[in-house]
Amino acid sequence: MIMGRTVLNLYCLLVYAFLLAPIFVVVGASFNAGEFLTFPPQGLSFRWYVTFFHNEVFLRAIVTSLWIASVATVFSVVIGTMAAIYYVHFAGRRKEMIRVAALSPLLLPEILTAIALLFFLYDIGIGTKTMFGLLVGHVLLTLPFVFMNVSASLEGYDTDWSMAARSLGARPFTRFRRIVLPLIKPGLIGGALFSFVISFDVFTISLLLKSIGTATLPIQLFDYLKTNYTPEAAAVSTLSIVATVSVVVIVEKVVGLKVHKF
Amino acid sequence: MTEVRLNRLTKIYAGGKPAVDSISLTIPTGQFVSLLGPSGCGKTTTLKMLAGFEEVTRGEIAFDGQDMVRVPAEDRDIGMVFQNYALFPHMTVFQNLAFGLEMRRIGKAEIARRVGETLEMVQLSHLADRYPAQLSGGQQQRVAIGRALVIEPRILLLDEPLANLDAKLREEMRVFIRDLQKRVGITTIYVTHDQAEAMTMSDLVVVMFDGRIAQAGAPAEIYERPKSATVAGFVGQVNLIEAALDPASPGAAKTPFGPVPVQVPPVGDSVTLALRPEAIDIAPAGAGPGTAATVESLQYSGAIVDYVLRFADGSRASVKTIPRHRFETGQEVSLSVDPARFWQLGREY
Amino acid sequence: MRQRYAFLLLLPAGILLTVFLAIPYVSVFLSAFRVPGEGTPYGDGYTLGNFARIFTDWFYIGQALNTMLIGAVTTLATLIIGLPVAFQLARPELRLRGLFYGIVLSPLLVGIVIRSYGWTILLGNNGVINRTLRGWGWIDGPMPLMYNTLGIVIALTHVFLPFMILPIMSAVQGIDPSVASAARSLGARRLSVIRRILLPLAMPGIQSGCILVFVLALSSYVTPALIGGLRVKTTAVTVVDAMIDTFQWPFGAALALTLSVLGGASVLLFARATRMKWK
Ligand SMILES: Nc1ncnc2c1ncn2[C@@H]1O[C@H](COP(=O)(O)OP(=O)(O)OP(=O)(O)O)[C@@H](O)[C@H]1O
Ligand SMILES: [Mg+2]
Repeated sequence: MIMGRTVLNLYCLLVYAFLLAPIFVVVGASFNAGEFLTFPPQGLSFRWYVTFFHNEVFLRAIVTSLWIASVATVFSVVIGTMAAIYYVHFAGRRKEMIRVAALSPLLLPEILTAIALLFFLYDIGIGTKTMFGLLVGHVLLTLPFVFMNVSASLEGYDTDWSMAARSLGARPFTRFRRIVLPLIKPGLIGGALFSFVISFDVFTISLLLKSIGTATLPIQLFDYLKTNYTPEAAAVSTLSIVATVSVVVIVEKVVGLKVHKF
Repeated sequence: MTEVRLNRLTKIYAGGKPAVDSISLTIPTGQFVSLLGPSGCGKTTTLKMLAGFEEVTRGEIAFDGQDMVRVPAEDRDIGMVFQNYALFPHMTVFQNLAFGLEMRRIGKAEIARRVGETLEMVQLSHLADRYPAQLSGGQQQRVAIGRALVIEPRILLLDEPLANLDAKLREEMRVFIRDLQKRVGITTIYVTHDQAEAMTMSDLVVVMFDGRIAQAGAPAEIYERPKSATVAGFVGQVNLIEAALDPASPGAAKTPFGPVPVQVPPVGDSVTLALRPEAIDIAPAGAGPGTAATVESLQYSGAIVDYVLRFADGSRASVKTIPRHRFETGQEVSLSVDPARFWQLGREY
Repeated sequence: MRQRYAFLLLLPAGILLTVFLAIPYVSVFLSAFRVPGEGTPYGDGYTLGNFARIFTDWFYIGQALNTMLIGAVTTLATLIIGLPVAFQLARPELRLRGLFYGIVLSPLLVGIVIRSYGWTILLGNNGVINRTLRGWGWIDGPMPLMYNTLGIVIALTHVFLPFMILPIMSAVQGIDPSVASAARSLGARRLSVIRRILLPLAMPGIQSGCILVFVLALSSYVTPALIGGLRVKTTAVTVVDAMIDTFQWPFGAALALTLSVLGGASVLLFARATRMKWK
């Protein structure tokens, strides 16, 4: 039995190493002093970070990505939370149907969704001239994550709390602000973070729906990697990792992923 | 203080039979009323309609003659205690109590004063800064009561508030709640399916079956003069005796204990008599006049002994007594009853 | 809130999913039958030609089958690798659980391009793995790890592992611990408890993990494009090429639709085969 535990733990450690390996390698390679992307790096330097900070294309891509991820997250959180509230408290027998519908963007192949949206936008005359299609695509893909997180925390919400608040004289808006919101905060923030991170990473939809000048960071990086093999890409990647991790950590610290221990 | 009147109050959930079926009831100011009945009889539904959480299908609810049916829950000024307390887990005890006062836009200082007073009343002043999860079941219970009372509501509603407590705590809380209610003098409606709870705490017990009121009355009345066998059975053990009218002596029915005077019904030749098990005196056989019977089985539970006795004609009766004399299974005994302890049941409702 | 206004909550999501998902899916189905255009995305009229082109060319059929194979093997690999980890992470008393959980989530934080890029550094002929093995003298020439199906599967396994671990973990966490104790009290040994009790109860999680990974792997573009390069292409890569490089929208739609129908049918078969009677 002790043996079994040890074997399991060792196995898991190997898997964790497997999970971290490529990330580790990218970060390591970004400090390369040489011309070429190698790991372990040939000497340490920040030269590729300096190169990056002079590369307007990447800087603009990062700004685009941050902007889209933020806007998409706001929309997803509002829409997804409303749907989750309905799903948990009012759906009745249609519960399963609503769940499948809300998760469908995740269950349908992204590439087909991207093509479908492309055709549709083209047909209705919007096309990819504006960022509209791109944003819609991102909201679609992030919606399931908000929905899953928020509905999970709503399932733990006891409707008696709302009734108690009502009997104490709280009106709907006050109930939502003082009781519901604080109690589903972990799910809400988790959903928002997930949404942000996923949107930051959406590829196929961004590739097919991007308009001129709205390439997101993954697209720009991918484009670059097709033709270049310098450590600049590693530097960009490392910064992007730092950026997403900081967003997550800052949100965790400022808003708090956990409500009071109860 | 508030008088509560229900008039033909009815609730029908979508596509079902009535969960609450035309109940009418007047609760005088300051009284403690229990709604007592088996699971699913509509107690919670009645309470929810009173509180405004459930729409009324038909009928009236009035507080002091003022129609309440269309008043939203948040304006009814009701204190409600939930079965699982429904304390706000993200607020301290103090904040839980303050919430209702904040909704009434009461000043900070006044809130602190009133919450302080109420905490003292429910004996929780020392735990004001704890979160609900850090409290025991009984303490949570008292927070819930405090939270409901601190807003000085017109009426207090409690839905099986003691169901989640252990036996000893439950008894303590019974006394606690009843004392508190007397001190505050608030009209209180208390839902329970525990007859002992209803009996010990209430001014008025309302027994419900199937969405209807089977009987409403003082605890002693419900226990000693239940209107039907169902009510009698629900509020305690009872011996039902189907007694034939005695053609020889008019106005009396034949029972194993001898003739008992009854009101002769307009039709039929028998009546149903009820007799509480503790109304039967049990003595060793031959110790005096009485009806002979045999001990068929017995159950000893400390302060009392429950016997099942069999008469010569094969019928049975339960007897409850203090274990002063112990009788063994198979032993012959002699039973006697004061005829006044019989009562005659009307027809089932 | 009043019941009768509650549907308003569902309205925004409903509109979004109907207008921008359901209707486009109907239109993409039609578009796959459109006539290719000259200088425009598509021309007037409808044709079966796009599908005829796919089903008469072994190149596309073979590629689709290979893509399905990649999806299936990736699913199996993530399951084998992820299952023990999911069980370990589900134990609340595990030390450093937060850290391990973070590691499992970390690939999601890092982005698919970067992760695939990391694998090119690891798997390339001059990559970390090949150079290390050569350094140890285990191999003479470089092992072919990139630009082939194996490389794609390795990278995809890494990319989608979290999507296998997370659903299984939450299913395992939902299992009442006393069930396992009860089985042990009935004399079941550790392995039987896992095989007879825990695995069946974790089945809903395993099922959703498998479906999720399979669908994601089938339609993934970045990883096969970067690892497979020009030599091994999956159907998704060919679809994107058709859409973007050669501007053959109807053909791209037809190809994507074919892949999705094949994938959808496999998922349905899988769901049927693993159906749980007690659910
Ligand atoms: N929301 C609802 N929709 C439909 N039927 C309901 C609903 N709530 C309760 N009922 C039905 O109404 C009847 C009365 O329920 P109620 O909850 O009032 O019973 P109760 O007396 O409180 O029972 P318990 O002692 O078990 O709490 C039951 O038959 C129940 O199934
Ligand atoms: Mg109830």
